[in-house]
Amino acid sequence: MKQTFTIAIGGAAGQGVATPGDIFAKIFSRRGLHLNAYNAYQSIIRGGHTFLTIRTGPEKVTNMGDRLDLLIPLNQDAMNRHLGLLTNGAACIFNAETIKPGAAAEGVALCPLPVSKLADITRNKVAQNTLAVGAGLSMMGIGFQAVQEVFTEQFKKKGEAVVSENVGIARAGYDYATANFKPFARPLPMTGNRYAVLSGNTAMAMGGAAAGVKFYCAYPMSPSTGVLHWMAAHARKAGIMVRQVEDEIGVVNMAIGAAHAGVRSMCATSGGGFALMSEGLGMSAMMETPVVVIDCQRAGPSTGVPTKTEQGDLWQMLGAAFGDYPRVLAAPLDIGDCFKIIPEIFNIADRFQCPGLVLCDLLLSEGRLSVDPKDLDFAPVIDRGELITTVTAASGTHDNGGYKRYKITESGISPRAIPGVPGYTHTAATDEHEEDGVLISDEFTNPTKRRAMMEKRMRKVAGIEAVVSPPALVGPRNAEITLIGWGSTKGVIEEACEILSDQGISANQLQIRWLVPLHGEAILDILKDARHTIIVENNYSGQFARYLRSETSYVPNGYIRKYDGEPFMPHHIVEAVKEQLGGTTRLSVPAHEILV
Amino acid sequence: MATSTPEKPAPAPKTNRIGLSVLDYRGGKTTLCAGCGHNAISERIIDAMYEMGVSPERVIKPSGIGCSSKSPAYFMGRSHSFNAVHGRMPSVATGAVLANRHLIALGVSGDGDTASIGVGQFIHLMRRNLPIIYIIEDNGVYGLTKGQFSATADMGSTLKTGVINDLPPIDTCAMAITLGATFVGRSFSGDKKQLHAMMKAAIAHKGTVMLDVVSPCVTFNDHEGSTKSYKYMKDHEEPLQEVSFVPAFEDIAIDYDPGTTIEVTMHDGSRLRLRKLEEEYDPTKRIQAITRLNEAHEKGEVLTGVFYVNSKTPTFVDLLNMTEEPLATLPESVVRPGREVLEQVMEELR
Repeated sequence: MKQTFTIAIGGAAGQGVATPGDIFAKIFSRRGLHLNAYNAYQSIIRGGHTFLTIRTGPEKVTNMGDRLDLLIPLNQDAMNRHLGLLTNGAACIFNAETIKPGAAAEGVALCPLPVSKLADITRNKVAQNTLAVGAGLSMMGIGFQAVQEVFTEQFKKKGEAVVSENVGIARAGYDYATANFKPFARPLPMTGNRYAVLSGNTAMAMGGAAAGVKFYCAYPMSPSTGVLHWMAAHARKAGIMVRQVEDEIGVVNMAIGAAHAGVRSMCATSGGGFALMSEGLGMSAMMETPVVVIDCQRAGPSTGVPTKTEQGDLWQMLGAAFGDYPRVLAAPLDIGDCFKIIPEIFNIADRFQCPGLVLCDLLLSEGRLSVDPKDLDFAPVIDRGELITTVTAASGTHDNGGYKRYKITESGISPRAIPGVPGYTHTAATDEHEEDGVLISDEFTNPTKRRAMMEKRMRKVAGIEAVVSPPALVGPRNAEITLIGWGSTKGVIEEACEILSDQGISANQLQIRWLVPLHGEAILDILKDARHTIIVENNYSGQFARYLRSETSYVPNGYIRKYDGEPFMPHHIVEAVKEQLGGTTRLSVPAHEILV
Repeated sequence: MATSTPEKPAPAPKTNRIGLSVLDYRGGKTTLCAGCGHNAISERIIDAMYEMGVSPERVIKPSGIGCSSKSPAYFMGRSHSFNAVHGRMPSVATGAVLANRHLIALGVSGDGDTASIGVGQFIHLMRRNLPIIYIIEDNGVYGLTKGQFSATADMGSTLKTGVINDLPPIDTCAMAITLGATFVGRSFSGDKKQLHAMMKAAIAHKGTVMLDVVSPCVTFNDHEGSTKSYKYMKDHEEPLQEVSFVPAFEDIAIDYDPGTTIEVTMHDGSRLRLRKLEEEYDPTKRIQAITRLNEAHEKGEVLTGVFYVNSKTPTFVDLLNMTEEPLATLPESVVRPGREVLEQVMEELR
């Protein structure tokens, strides 16, 4: 099993959970360690309970893991909720003056800090946090030099006095721990690697910039707002037109308007906002104007649980907007993939002139992951497809030179001219239309022309399928168990497979990234040899399982589902697999042990 | 027996300052009802665009859904037409103009498209002062769905079936002025002279032009009891001014009496002349405009004319400091952030 170390910091919103989190993350990433961070929080500005987990290690860390090594509760509530999660070898650092520890399991080190003796708490309201960070880092075997550097950087904007005060407090915590607490059994290693730490939202925004997005608009909605924040903060530098719009109806229509004029245009929202966008998506399909829309799923229906994760929007995305039309739908597999998927989907949407949908979720959107900068390609190929932006020698006449915007072609793709190009002006309409764009819904309808136009558009489906690679099986071909997942569950399923294999149950994984096109035949081909298949997903009804069945008639041996708002942890999947191999059930719904 | 007459060469068609004839501004044959006010508005657009010498290829005609929104097919066939979904034209137009500031946007909407289903989008468009001419072809009813009241129908107005409208109308002009549109007026499709002059001034203005044009629906709302009929308008239209327009390229000096006429110089140097029919009215005063519109409602008048002009507020594209080069046609070399920017971005993540 790989070596990882997990810190959890719990407290009320506004108590300063984020800063210690940032400091730990920076220190780990500077040591060349991988990390994965997940923040469980509520829809409240002050109060409530926030629980940040940061897991680090020299190898790839893809999820929050099963074990906590260090707990820092910032209030009694956090202590009460989480002390029981700690097992042998773990430690809990807390303010001895305000927090009473409960009963801890055997082998758990309780590390009380005499806060007011170590720092002037009348001057510094978050002294307990800083002391705990210093103490924790000492116990992890990290030299103070590194601690000092990161604290200096963290507070440099606030001036020299604040820097030295905080470094001083961290030092006090560090020294106190060195003198009084037992260090962790395995000090944190160091590697020569250097990773970038980013959230899925940042990754998708940066992926947009790399794809040449020039227009981004959005209405703030958790958990998609991070994309808007990155875009707004970098608009000027990156030369991107960024607008906050009145509602998601305005958002999608504005994005399509800009796309229609010729730019790559993107927007992000969550399920509720996406519902408002669905009519607009139909317009993108009918006018054959490509636009990329990101849905960062949160727990629904309706307002649901705005700060919790779920994979519950699949059918909404599959059925978005009425009528039949070609679309592409992809679910990024991890935070690095959030970056990569954007240029990819833009190329397909541009080439096939259809909407491109990205199905992300809160887990990736707001989670943080270390990514090798080499994996972030800022110059991916840009394929705009058959786009006419200037007058060419062949045109230039005022009678439009026979230009047909919706020309019936074998591929279903017609040359797309942007407005303002002499010789190529035309009508683009949400009504059904002829090859030149003239409406056939108006004075006369025409079944023959309608059918031809419908078939033209739908021919693009075959082309899209040909350019998207089918999914592949990872792991031993003849494994005892095949776990099937889609999107953000990739990392946790991967780790569950490793644990199962360590425990003598060989397992492999089929992770789906492209939901449309699905490549049903290829999936059936992969699964025909599988011995025991289980579909793992973060929703109630098994949305992907139902989709796979509707497309291929495939029925797996079992299901593992979770719809409590929290992501899977590896042991949830491992235990469910064992339960199903034991034959007691075909559907497992693991309980989330962390109360957040 | 036929007699042959010597063929006379056809007289050269009259052309405008960019060498186009009025035929170059025409569109397809209308499919609207004979006598529909919307057709007269299309004619005024054609004349104004022709006379102002606007290059048709630079014009984009976004519209929503409804009878009015079909009309872009019936004028300026050499321009790009964009029939969006119901009520969303303001958003589509904003996106298109931001992506390409060289486009001249002429949006056509109706009272249902604007004041009901699309009112959210309309309100936010008015706030932006986007360079666009936004025309509401306002007949107070939904024509394509056979004559239900819209939100601009006056209280007490009746349908042919006898149904009485029980809610007060939304005054799109008062709303546009309040929200920040910089050229706002109301006209009547039957008032050829006034609409013609207002349309030309609209083309010369930089910023959001909002024209509410009362345009009777001959099929569903032209009867006794309607307040949007030809007859009602003829009896109740109350023009604020006599509107005339002198384009910048016609260097005509006409004396006028500043006591009776207000002259507004437009962005391009054109002059909008408003011969006062109401002594005190000054269309550069926003609060006065809103007050006067409210008064008109109380008196049961249909006030027409240029209610508000403001040539000083910067347009949305200027405010946003957009580059001259349209975003839509930037070369690939600049379409992505440069190396330095990327290095900074990566630095933030370490």
